[in-house]
Amino acid sequence: MTRSVALPALAVAFGLCLPQPLLAQDIYPSRPITMIVPFPPGGVADQTARPVAATMERLLKQPVVVSNRQGAGGAVGMAATANAKPDGYTIMTALSSISVIPEADKLFNRTPAYQMAQFAPIALVTADPTILVVPADSPWKTLAEFVADAKKRPGEISYSSSGLYGTLHLAMEMFAHAAGIKLKHVPFNGAGPALTALLGNHVQALASGPGVVIPQIQAGKLRPLANWGAKRIAAMPDVATFKELGYPSVEFTIWAGVFAPAGTPEPVLTVLRETMGRVVADGEFKSAMEKLQTPIAYLDAPEFRKFWDQDAQAMVKAVQAIGRVE
Amino acid sequence: MDTLNNLALGFSVALSPEVFLFAVIGCVIGTLVGMLPGVGPLAGISLLLPATFGLSPTTAIVLLAGIYYGAMYGGSTTSILMRIPGEAASVMTCIDGYAMTQQGRAGPALAIAAIGSFIGGTVSIVALMLLAPPLASLALRFGPPEYFALLTLGLLMLAFLSGGTMAKTLAMAAFGLFLGTIGIDLMSGFLRFQYGIVALGDGIGLVPVAVGLFGVSEILMTMGQGSAPAVQKPRLRELIPTRLDIRQSVGPIGRGTVLGFLIGIVPGSAHIISSFLSYALERRLARQPERFGHGAIEGVAGPETANNAAACGAFVPMLALGVPSGPIPAVMLAALMVHGVAPGPLLMEQQPALFWGFVASMYVGNAVLLLLNLPLVGLFVSLLRIPYAYLYPAILVFCILGVYAVSESVVDVWIMIAMGGLGYVLRKLDFEVAPVVLGLVLSPMIETALRQSLAMSSGSYLILVNRPIAAAMLVLAATLLIVCLLPRGSWRRMLGIEG
Repeated sequence: MTRSVALPALAVAFGLCLPQPLLAQDIYPSRPITMIVPFPPGGVADQTARPVAATMERLLKQPVVVSNRQGAGGAVGMAATANAKPDGYTIMTALSSISVIPEADKLFNRTPAYQMAQFAPIALVTADPTILVVPADSPWKTLAEFVADAKKRPGEISYSSSGLYGTLHLAMEMFAHAAGIKLKHVPFNGAGPALTALLGNHVQALASGPGVVIPQIQAGKLRPLANWGAKRIAAMPDVATFKELGYPSVEFTIWAGVFAPAGTPEPVLTVLRETMGRVVADGEFKSAMEKLQTPIAYLDAPEFRKFWDQDAQAMVKAVQAIGRVE
Repeated sequence: MDTLNNLALGFSVALSPEVFLFAVIGCVIGTLVGMLPGVGPLAGISLLLPATFGLSPTTAIVLLAGIYYGAMYGGSTTSILMRIPGEAASVMTCIDGYAMTQQGRAGPALAIAAIGSFIGGTVSIVALMLLAPPLASLALRFGPPEYFALLTLGLLMLAFLSGGTMAKTLAMAAFGLFLGTIGIDLMSGFLRFQYGIVALGDGIGLVPVAVGLFGVSEILMTMGQGSAPAVQKPRLRELIPTRLDIRQSVGPIGRGTVLGFLIGIVPGSAHIISSFLSYALERRLARQPERFGHGAIEGVAGPETANNAAACGAFVPMLALGVPSGPIPAVMLAALMVHGVAPGPLLMEQQPALFWGFVASMYVGNAVLLLLNLPLVGLFVSLLRIPYAYLYPAILVFCILGVYAVSESVVDVWIMIAMGGLGYVLRKLDFEVAPVVLGLVLSPMIETALRQSLAMSSGSYLILVNRPIAAAMLVLAATLLIVCLLPRGSWRRMLGIEG
């Protein structure tokens, strides 16, 4: 660096340093916000968090930096958020599995990585129903045929999942429990390998998100049997929900929401909530989510908390129904 | 003819200024990512993924693919020059590549690595282009039992890897397998050997172990020599492979291409074993196997070709079926989804410009990488002119930074340092460290595959022999074991009678 550049640069840097502490006290946010994503880049949480962060950045006029803190099925990043300073400068985008991890920890007599009470919900952003699919050449044309066959030979029909106590596992067990059938579980490491196993006919069924299964259904490789959502989805108007098919208690969505550490001051939470309300109404954000084929399912903090409580209860029940796998 | 028309379309996309520019950028970044110890292609692609959101889908995927196979080229550089695996697939290159460097033959090693990578990559693209759909349906037949059989075969290849006594090799492999069992059990959720250290919950990372066992231990070994090794001043003539080098490399490159590609298309993350298998194969086929470990160029040519061919083969299930064949294609699939392209079996029909542009860009990228890497050989080799007193501390700093950067975990840095110390002791005692790395890589995969198979069959081991592909591979593995035990007095070495 030549001196002519260095000197002004130094002066600017020095100048920037001075007023910072004076400003910091009054208006939130006055410095960059970190958004923790407890999963690797490219996953569902990351795909949602990045457009959220980009839009927040534009609205708040402060950088919102996505930080992928993966590990232990998300527990590492969630615990990091739970224990972060509750000042609004650390927030998180997490998935429905946030309710499962403490319950699984309890099952194994482990000290839980975090407690649910350590989070303050800000907004629900997306909710994707799961779809039950079987290979296109399998004998079951309807859910009723599938259930009837499974009743005849308990524990013989196998399904793949993204991992033990993972979302795809829980969805399937919730249905199996309600239908009174017993299926054989073969866990894989992620939703991708689970799909590969189904396509290779190594297992006979799978629950997965619409974005994953629709291309395979269009290509004639898979057949959808039912939808875990509250209502049918636009891309598959013929696929009935479990509720319609006589299983009123079977509802499961893979959702993504934004959280702050509990204890974050109320004025800061208000700013975050208002910002999220503007994010989901933003044109660019909407088109980003449309590309992902993920419907926006915005809920503001109070409704989100209600939704989260109900969802967590259903999840905990599903985990308890599975119990400890020996 | 259809293929040619499509390829013409592909090249028109790949050579358009924007796509070409990003292919070159991807290749350069990939080369750098491959060279930095620790930061592998997965970390590189993940970090750059958000930066591609503003690009067109074709440009984005071309950029990311460039990073992937660029890293396969770059990974060999530090392995050969400094015995530091830039990424996991170049662990085997460390052995003979670095031995060549010590003999003042770094130039030919780097050149052959680049040429082998180019051939492995290019031939694989031809296979990808012509055979993707049938190969993909073959790949789908690899379920957990077949995967288990393949990995067992890979593990048995250890017997071929052993340069010293087989007992020592197997002890090292067992140690590696044990390291691989640390962390959360994917099938039951139990934490194993974790001792309350949260960072161990995800298991011991491959990167800190490989960098520690190979790189850090080498630095310690050099320090232990008392006087610094003489700084090398290679002349230009010594940079070019001799005719003998090329003759010796032809076979390994050919076999490495086929082997790497076939392993690459299998869904799972066994790509790393392609370089191990290739090394073992070349050692077995060599007329003078004792040259391996002491600068045999076949030990560079085979593995380096295989890892590039495997990187390319991994795109077969991704493009033909829309399913990931490993963590890196999984991130690339996610990138496609972000761009509104639904990856699936219809990708080729619905997005011909994207598919064929991607294929053509891989030809272009490989050519760019060859042109980029060959002239750089001289530059890289001149790094060796730096006195060790300056070079080694700098390398150590890069190792620590690289390992830390991957997972932002200080525990990983400690693991690397501990593995460096362990590697030093083991090498002083004449143990080979490569089997530890292979054991660590295979352990979780082999265990998961076996337990998934047993879950599928409700506990019956017959599933492993009832399925033709799995049975054939297990028979092959058993045969290899017998062949390996009988001739050349291996059984005697095992009992320690010899010498």
